[in-house]
Amino acid sequence: MPRPVARLRPRPILDGATLRLGDREVPLRSGAMHYWRVAKEHWRDGLRQVKALGLPMVETYVPWSVHEVDFADGVPTFDFGERDPRRDLAAFLDLAAEEELLVFLRPGPHINAELTGFGLPARMLDDPEVQARTPRGNPVVLYFPPHMFAVPSHASEAYREHTAQWLEAVGEIVAPRRWPDGPVVLMQIDNELGFFFRSGPFCQDYHDDSVALWHSFLQARHGDLDGVRRAHRATYATWSDASPPSRFAGDLEGDDRHGELARQLDWAAFAEHLHVDFTKHLRRRFDRAGLGELPTIHNVSVGEGGAPVSVASLGEAVDLVGLDYYHPTREQRTIKRRTLYLAGTAPTVYAPELGVGAPPWFTPLAHDDSLVTAMTACAYGLRGFNLYMAVDRDRWYGAPIDVTGHARHEATAWRRFLSALETTGFHRGTRQARVALQWPREYQRLSRATHLLGTVSNAVLEAIGGTPVELCRADALGFSQPIQHAWWDELARMAAALTAAQVPYVYVDSEAPIERYEGYDVVFAPSYEYASPARFEKLAALAERGVHVVYGPRLPSRDEALHAADFPRPGKAPPTVVDDTMAHALVADWVGRFELERPYATLPPVETTVHEVDGEERVLFVVNPSSAREAEIALPRPTVAVDALTGESITGETSLRVAIDRESCRMFVLQSERRKAPRARRRA
Amino acid sequence: MISAELRFEGFDARSWTNLVSLFMPGLPDRLDRAADATDSPVAASGPRPTGSVLVVVDEDDVVLAATHTQRGRVRELAGTAIDRESLATLALSAGAHRVLVVREGAMEELAEQLGARFRSDDTYLAQVLELLRAARELEGAGDLALWPNPIANVPIPNAATFDRALDLVLPDGRAGVMVLWDGPVWTGVVLRRRNGAIDLVAGPDALVRWTGPLGGDWRRDYRVVVDSVARSVAPVHFGLFAEAPTIRTLLRAADAGQWAQAVAVRNVVLSPMPRTVAAALGADAVRGLGRASARALGGLDFAGALLPLVREVRARVTHASTVSEILGFDPLAVLGAVLRRDEGEPHE
Repeated sequence: MPRPVARLRPRPILDGATLRLGDREVPLRSGAMHYWRVAKEHWRDGLRQVKALGLPMVETYVPWSVHEVDFADGVPTFDFGERDPRRDLAAFLDLAAEEELLVFLRPGPHINAELTGFGLPARMLDDPEVQARTPRGNPVVLYFPPHMFAVPSHASEAYREHTAQWLEAVGEIVAPRRWPDGPVVLMQIDNELGFFFRSGPFCQDYHDDSVALWHSFLQARHGDLDGVRRAHRATYATWSDASPPSRFAGDLEGDDRHGELARQLDWAAFAEHLHVDFTKHLRRRFDRAGLGELPTIHNVSVGEGGAPVSVASLGEAVDLVGLDYYHPTREQRTIKRRTLYLAGTAPTVYAPELGVGAPPWFTPLAHDDSLVTAMTACAYGLRGFNLYMAVDRDRWYGAPIDVTGHARHEATAWRRFLSALETTGFHRGTRQARVALQWPREYQRLSRATHLLGTVSNAVLEAIGGTPVELCRADALGFSQPIQHAWWDELARMAAALTAAQVPYVYVDSEAPIERYEGYDVVFAPSYEYASPARFEKLAALAERGVHVVYGPRLPSRDEALHAADFPRPGKAPPTVVDDTMAHALVADWVGRFELERPYATLPPVETTVHEVDGEERVLFVVNPSSAREAEIALPRPTVAVDALTGESITGETSLRVAIDRESCRMFVLQSERRKAPRARRRA
Repeated sequence: MISAELRFEGFDARSWTNLVSLFMPGLPDRLDRAADATDSPVAASGPRPTGSVLVVVDEDDVVLAATHTQRGRVRELAGTAIDRESLATLALSAGAHRVLVVREGAMEELAEQLGARFRSDDTYLAQVLELLRAARELEGAGDLALWPNPIANVPIPNAATFDRALDLVLPDGRAGVMVLWDGPVWTGVVLRRRNGAIDLVAGPDALVRWTGPLGGDWRRDYRVVVDSVARSVAPVHFGLFAEAPTIRTLLRAADAGQWAQAVAVRNVVLSPMPRTVAAALGADAVRGLGRASARALGGLDFAGALLPLVREVRARVTHASTVSEILGFDPLAVLGAVLRRDEGEPHE
């Protein structure tokens, strides 16, 4: 007798910035609306306005601390609408389905959302077993208003156990409402990992469970205790002697200095590992709670360049890692760098939080800040996003839809922008880039280890408009120069030269898989006295495949434990010392040697980016990070360009003359007879 | 100060940034600041002092790292020794408004101190004051130094003292309202105090829901606002209504008497006017009177304008307690000094 064939449940498939739902393709675009913060009678109006913006999907957090109304004898009581109709998650999901909106759900457990305790129940945050620890064993306190709280330890077994109860409760409501039975198509696991903004090198986590995890991490990294002893140049008798560092000993010499550096680099790498470990744990919990079978996402907050999180490594735990965007218009270069980092490192460029407005206790952002940030990010390759917030709510200002579900004046601009993205098929678009700048994670870790301002970490400094190497020690630590600064300066120099020459490029995290480098003609890799052997093996492999690898100023001679090591030379060329002059010379050489195209060229500092959709040049952005008021753009062919926001139509035979505001971005839909892309090439 | 259950609602981007710009000295600077030149900006010189310089030093006050908050790393300071007595010179040479010197490890110590003293059931006010106390201790030990330090001699009150001062400004169960016009409503805010802390901050969107459409003459509309807030939120303890430029100027006013004069000529409407505010205005008026009688400005008779107000105040004030007496400093004077300094100095 033939065995019955199990019917496979169809699942949403994440394909770039497109969600495939059977035969239906949906762009990865949504808007946030927090059901529990909107009166139930306004839900429908709010959802309809989200849809009217041109968004196919609504996003919401599911707040643990709001739904948990009691906890006794280890058993939580949850209210999902029985007591307060605004907490009726099931009704909200069903209403979204009725309004033909899909749902992107973010049940935490940590969500922030400007909730007191970041959405985690106070009774749990008060549990000493849950709390992250400082070097002296004190709780790690987050200063955010309206109430400080002790942040949980991601390693804490108690915390991990508590989260299971919450996720199971969410699962009961959500599992039956997953697509195709319901509207839920996407899940986010936790929120903005990074030690709750307390990410200085010695802020945390010295919780017993974290220290235990640190020891297993060391074992995996160095083989056994003997390997750790050799790496740290220490005389550990037992594992408990291999304690995490609590300060940077900057005054050591010789082998002691090497041992200290190795230990510090291990500690910095461990912080990243801890976040990946926690995320993998949560993903298993999601699966067990019936929340599996849906694509998963994680969002990294602004300041990722200095944060103890690795987009590449987190990509092992979830399907897609994105960056959150909250920027004033003057940070267009930062928006560019962050977007190009995702373009090189992640499978697609996605913003789980593209800020529209902001919380009241952050730097104030105007409407223009939000819109220009969104358009600039798209200019450099952002393909999908979640407008956060689409509907106004408590502890927020500036959403395009108010809390009663009425569109504000600002909604018009968003509607036009979203309409242009939809009609051009922008989520399927690509942008040419044939140069990759490698983001060397082992040096980023050194920058984190040498940061001097503790709780005001380099991630925080970067988030408020600085750089992630801003307050690192300035001494050379026995190297020929302070590597903790040098790698950043060198990338900045190359980026400036490429920008001046209008050559498109991306950043690729050194820990991204080698497939991410596919299609680039040139890879530039900063390298100093020490480096990750795995990174150099990757570079050597790329060189063997014909990629032009430029590295320097040195061929490394030590590994990350500062042990002497042989490094393969990636290609035949010797290391290159890159000063400003050399950076420009290198770019000029690459332009000639690889015939790098600079389409739609204009006069710097104004920049243009062109995006192809289905093989045709379809969208042109003009980005103005300066106070220039006009740009002339060279055209490859006679073109009509229509402004996505104003509808203004500009025609040119060989060039376009475009009026531009200070620190602005304009999006043009291209209309011409021959827009076919010149040839197949790398897409970002 | 603020409740853990704080509700903040009813602001669009414009009304919120307008409100904040009144009190946030750095905001105009930020909006005017030139864009970054590269993906990762490096230090660049600027035409005028702005922002702050952060300097981290070792035990011997030798600089381990320094950065300018708006221009990036200050490389030339690394390895030099800081003279704590010459921070003004350092600020000038770095093109900055302020200097913050931090001893290596001080921020970690601050975090340890806060962690050790942390009580989750404290109010946010008590938590913040504890943080300030810990910072003040580090300052005393030479681990932190700020130049200039506008609050160097300002005592850190305890939470109970602060609450007593707040009782005078906004008693429990009452609301305070401010609406500013610049043609239409430019910004507005309603504060409510409940169970000892501010639990509601509401903006113009919420106000409009409570008032319905306003007539357009702010000197009349304010009555509708007060009545509506009283009905929808809580009895109003004080209301401040004016045109936005007037308040912007008054917040930065150094001359005694300007607030009282503005009220006297109804450029500012205070309604209701609690007796503590009246007392403060009375003191302001008396101080202004001394100056006004010493000089004639544009033919305006200051003394004549202020005398009726002073009489009224004397008649209404039944006790002498003021916010300044309770706190030991005048918060409005401190705010004014900070705003004047941060916005005025670049042009000096």
